[in-house]
Amino acid sequence: MKSRDKSLPDVAEKGKSEDKGINRRQFLSSATAAGVAAASVTTPNKAVTQESAQTSRAAVTPPSAQQEAMEYDIPVGYSAEEAKDYFVGNPGSDFMVDVLKKLEFDYITTNPGSSFRGIHESIVNYGGNKSPELIEATHEEIATAMAHGYYKVTGKPLAVLAHGTVGLQHAAIAVYNAWCDRSPMVILAGNHLDVAHRRPGVEWSHSAQDCVRVIRDYIKWDDSPVSLQHFAESMARAYKIAMTPPMGPVAIVLEGHLQEAELGNQQVPIPAMTPTQPPIGDTNAVEEAARWLVEAENPVIVVDLMAHDQEGVDRLIALAEALQAPVVNQFGRMNFPSNHYLSQGASAVAQADVILGLELYDTWGTINNMRDRVHKDVQRRARSDARVIDIGVKDLFTRSNYQSFQRYFATDLSIAGDAQATLPGLTEAVQSAMSSSRRASNAERKTRWQAAHIRQREQDRDWARYGWNASPVSTGRLYAELWNVVKDRDWALVSDDGQQNRWARRLWPIDKHYQWIGRSGGAGLGYGAPSALGAALAHRPEGRLPINVQRDGDMMYVPGTFWTAAHHDIPMLTVTHDNQGYHQEFMHLQRMAARRQRGVDGSSWIGNELRNPEIDLAKIVEGMGVWSEGPYSDPKDVGPAIARALDVVEAGEPAFVHVRTQPR
Amino acid sequence: MIITKGFCPLLGLAAMCLWGGTAIAQDSEDAIEGQALFETYQCWQCHSYQGQGGAHGPRIAPTLYPFEVFSQFVRRTNLMPAYSPNVLSDQDLRLIYEYVRSIPEPPPLENIPKLTF
Repeated sequence: MKSRDKSLPDVAEKGKSEDKGINRRQFLSSATAAGVAAASVTTPNKAVTQESAQTSRAAVTPPSAQQEAMEYDIPVGYSAEEAKDYFVGNPGSDFMVDVLKKLEFDYITTNPGSSFRGIHESIVNYGGNKSPELIEATHEEIATAMAHGYYKVTGKPLAVLAHGTVGLQHAAIAVYNAWCDRSPMVILAGNHLDVAHRRPGVEWSHSAQDCVRVIRDYIKWDDSPVSLQHFAESMARAYKIAMTPPMGPVAIVLEGHLQEAELGNQQVPIPAMTPTQPPIGDTNAVEEAARWLVEAENPVIVVDLMAHDQEGVDRLIALAEALQAPVVNQFGRMNFPSNHYLSQGASAVAQADVILGLELYDTWGTINNMRDRVHKDVQRRARSDARVIDIGVKDLFTRSNYQSFQRYFATDLSIAGDAQATLPGLTEAVQSAMSSSRRASNAERKTRWQAAHIRQREQDRDWARYGWNASPVSTGRLYAELWNVVKDRDWALVSDDGQQNRWARRLWPIDKHYQWIGRSGGAGLGYGAPSALGAALAHRPEGRLPINVQRDGDMMYVPGTFWTAAHHDIPMLTVTHDNQGYHQEFMHLQRMAARRQRGVDGSSWIGNELRNPEIDLAKIVEGMGVWSEGPYSDPKDVGPAIARALDVVEAGEPAFVHVRTQPR
Repeated sequence: MIITKGFCPLLGLAAMCLWGGTAIAQDSEDAIEGQALFETYQCWQCHSYQGQGGAHGPRIAPTLYPFEVFSQFVRRTNLMPAYSPNVLSDQDLRLIYEYVRSIPEPPPLENIPKLTF
């Protein structure tokens, strides 16, 4: 970390530096005087260059006190005392950068804004634009969603720098997605609360009494520091809160005057950020859960937003193998290898007599189904006598307005605690509770689940051949073509396949935590491209191949994402799933029309299409400096195009293959 | 065989026997007309252009269902938006069925090396 004391010389050091050469004030004064002198004795020369001014500096007469006062020392409107503060040598925002460095932020994503011009300058010139490095985005939604994706690969939060007013309004949906997806980030919101320091006009439009209010319903915590000490402590607190499960976004307001004012010789301590150990489920309750699981004839594990890292995956493998219980991965995270024989489809839930839910986003929806028809009837997916254990942190969320907490479900045993942190204790309790006869049954269970897993994988491969030669390209073929190009690389999928019939998780062997980043959380469009790029940024130092299957509707929210990819040289292989419409909404409209017995013969295009004119996505990204090919609708063209794109990505650049596809 | 939730294969087989051979051989003109209707009535949105299915609609082609069973899924179902005769006539539904029936089997797995995982 760069030392603040070393980079900001004290008064004595400044004196030494002035002895060695000419400082800015002296130079400008001399140059001005030289110019004045030259103008008085020669033909006026408007093209006096800096070089000629420097050359003539030694020959000119030192400016008089009156001249210096006229030029700099007492600028118009300043008293002699105030003139000492005309330049700022130690701005508050330099200290803010020290805080960011101490918290070890790798990057800070932003779309620039005047309300944080102070810290922007400090990051670049004081901090050297390293740790954190600024990542420029063309929209706050992009900047924020990049932080979301970055966290899910590295397990580290990014800082996001935004206007407190218009910037947070732009960022709001991306913050909401991160909230629903339990992903931490630290949002820094510029604001000018003190009217005495607000310039007239836009600065008033870009100020608020309570700028975080616009996102407060879906962040964990925020604060508006009024001193640098306050800022330092609140940043440490914010980081700590964001990273304690249930994780989520936090926000700190950067008061404009606090950024820009002179800190002087104040020594402001920066407190250490001491991470909070995640909450672990109650020991007695965990032992009870273990007994239920061991005694069950068909225990089934369902997991969603659980694994924070590879350790979480390994812990779940240990529990599942101890029980020889199938795992239904809902893929909110990469929780369990898709090619492990205990990885099973959702239908396993129907057979279970004990269901263990780990960090389920929707327990009710895991156990029940509601048909989308006029009379919303509910069917229980699970056996009526199945007991349900829920381990997770969702009961620790404390917000009310937005309903992302899902429908209430009366679990038989509910344990508040981070599931990954609770797993070692649960697995140990399972091992202790297991009788020798129960242990002996594991061989038979293993054989049974191995056979079921092989059957499922074979069935998935068989399904992928349907529509194999269709044009536009089937989504199954799209993933098969991709796989054949990338399979020998250290790849990572940085997009969700949920809208592509889940082909990656059905076909590809996904066995590392970093190979999958889950879904958006709040299902707000405009998440896909920038979260993929944030994840790709995280993969860059590891030399991995990030693969983004990009939906057209999502891309049209945030096309500038690809400019950021090119600008910052972030390698990412993008292949589109371009079905030329907001397809999900299309189906909703079709359902409404059918229910009302009218207009099922084509009206569902209205308001849902992304054609007429057709969008040339390849041309869009080409215009932003990204290598691209397409559009391709013939499946034979796809594999070779991806191979060419891979060459570009392996050279360190983003590449984009535009493929027109079947709907899903 | 199509795998569709809620469908009993034996029921389908019985219905097919009852149905007999009256509609087994449909000419290609019907299938072509049916394809146009398949697109007009937006069947492809859930079932894709070759009936291979998608994230929210099951695979419906190639089909072994008799028309009566196929029609039941379209008319009275809890799975898809029910298309009543008021918006989709029996005649058009039958033509759509002919198109679905005409969709050939895809290549076998062993002929698709790219599906080796």
